[in-house]
Amino acid sequence: MGASYLAVGWNRQKKIYDWLIFGFCVLYLATFVVLTAIFNPDYTFETVLIRATSTLAVIILHVILSIGPLTRINKKFLPLLYNRRHLGVTMFCIILVHGSFSILQFHSLGNENPFVSLFTSNTHFGSLADFPFQALGFFALIIFFLMAITSHDFWLHNLSPKVWKTLHMFVYLAYFLVVMHVMLGVIQYETNPVFIIIMLTGSFTLITLHLIAGTREVKKDNVIYKLKQDGYVLVCDIKDIQEDRAKMFCVDAERIAVYKTGGKLFAVNNVCKHQNGPLGEGKVIDGCITCPWHGYQYLPQNGQSPPPFKEKVSTYDVKIEGTHVWLNPKAYAEGTERPGAVISVVNAE
Amino acid sequence: MNNEEFYIGWMGEAPKSFVTWIRKYLIVLLPVIIVLGVLLALSQKKFGTGTFEFGTLTEVKGIYFNKPVPNIKVVDGKNIFGNESYITVPLIGFGKHGADGVIADLEKEKNISFEGKEITLKGTLLYNDGKLLMQVDGNDKPLVNVSGANINSVGLQNTKELGIIEVKGEIVDPKCFFGVMKPGEGKPHKDCAIRCILGGIPPVLKVTDEKGNQNYYLIVGANGEKMNEAVQDYVATPVEINARAVAYGDWIVLYVHPNGLQRYSYIQQHFGNKTASCGVACLK
Repeated sequence: MGASYLAVGWNRQKKIYDWLIFGFCVLYLATFVVLTAIFNPDYTFETVLIRATSTLAVIILHVILSIGPLTRINKKFLPLLYNRRHLGVTMFCIILVHGSFSILQFHSLGNENPFVSLFTSNTHFGSLADFPFQALGFFALIIFFLMAITSHDFWLHNLSPKVWKTLHMFVYLAYFLVVMHVMLGVIQYETNPVFIIIMLTGSFTLITLHLIAGTREVKKDNVIYKLKQDGYVLVCDIKDIQEDRAKMFCVDAERIAVYKTGGKLFAVNNVCKHQNGPLGEGKVIDGCITCPWHGYQYLPQNGQSPPPFKEKVSTYDVKIEGTHVWLNPKAYAEGTERPGAVISVVNAE
Repeated sequence: MNNEEFYIGWMGEAPKSFVTWIRKYLIVLLPVIIVLGVLLALSQKKFGTGTFEFGTLTEVKGIYFNKPVPNIKVVDGKNIFGNESYITVPLIGFGKHGADGVIADLEKEKNISFEGKEITLKGTLLYNDGKLLMQVDGNDKPLVNVSGANINSVGLQNTKELGIIEVKGEIVDPKCFFGVMKPGEGKPHKDCAIRCILGGIPPVLKVTDEKGNQNYYLIVGANGEKMNEAVQDYVATPVEINARAVAYGDWIVLYVHPNGLQRYSYIQQHFGNKTASCGVACLK
């Protein structure tokens, strides 16, 4: 979290992360290129480059898409999430090499503009066997390009979190395009089943991870709170919430985080303004609710980021009766100060 | 997880338990990456053995003919009767272009027709599987010499009618297939082959027999006209061709009958139309 924009706010963790990305990429490329050269002495540089970069990019894409559900399943994966955009930009650079060389190789030096050639050479859009798969890869590349150039927080703030998040959810469309690009392209040429097995295993793993993570979320969202009075619903016992931590409740389609800190309970909207991170899984640090995804912070009593930051989330009323915590799901305007509920000495013990 | 442990990316250090966990994840990921690299590299189809002598210009002397495709007949020795034998070297242009433009420019420059004349051209050779082709690029100043007089070309053409044949195979562009690209065939190369053929490179039918041996046929229309545009929808896909075959020295030329070029479906051929229709319906 920073008050001004830097290209990259380097710290030790980011440097380690990027060195690891670099090391893994070099290791993969070296393995692929050296083995191809040894076992295929008739190889051509262009083809090896196109294949090495494409396979590496597909592997990185699977890693990227698995990080989200993995962090939902186990929070220990959060360090992978924090700098995920570095992985995304790396993947885009690699896939740009693949795309550029492919367009150069297959469409340049002809009687047509290479980009026109891409869409007019093979026009069998109605045939699975002959489908012009390169166009699918091109559209995926465009999506990755838009995501890479808007990956910085500058764009997140200027496009608005909603637009930014929507744009970046297109990664799933891009993934579908990539899968079809592979299935309708190289898979139809190569005879070794290894390619299709790896591709299907990757897709199956991603779908499974998303289903597991999604099911957990849905379970939380579907909890029904039966006891209601004066607009409040009974959500839990005070002891269910740890000090400086929260529990998330979904009431009337509102995801609300109830925090216990400084002898009080506070309720704020669960969705972080940065990238929709789950504030309810955060922690109070230096008196601020801290988002587990990227460390964005909010004051528990009013949902406002401490100055000079300007992010705000909605606040809610919460009350304590006996040891029971009651929550009113009616949201106050973002940044509205609420008194919170005082935890009596008896309950605090 | 300990309540005290909380990961924040902008802090210098990650909590120990997070570091340990990510270390374990990376230890698992490392062999996965290596295994994937090994598997993918070793599972690729063997690269073709074609050669494109990129950057090397070779002078070739022979008799030029414009039909069935631009080519020069080059003396290859003598046959058992003591007569000179020739190999046919189809000519192609730079990039994804045929040689017609370059040859036309040279003829215009010299103000003569090269047809049937002895000519020395400088270009880049590409070859594979017993076939030799040459790229002539206007930027290389490809014309070294051309004789003024016509050679008696009747014997040189050495054509022989082989009758009507039906063959199944894949249409490729010979420039990529015989040397420039690997692979120069199949689905990944389809767009490139189409662009090359639309650019004037003569289409070639590659036919693989039951033993895996490959034969190559130049494709032209029934009257010897170019079929480059007509084959666009049939490139890099299984096709069946009904044509008059004519041996042209060491190449066979297919003079394709009208409607003699059809897509070929293995399923349709072996299991009949009903099965094929059912398959298509299932796919849909």
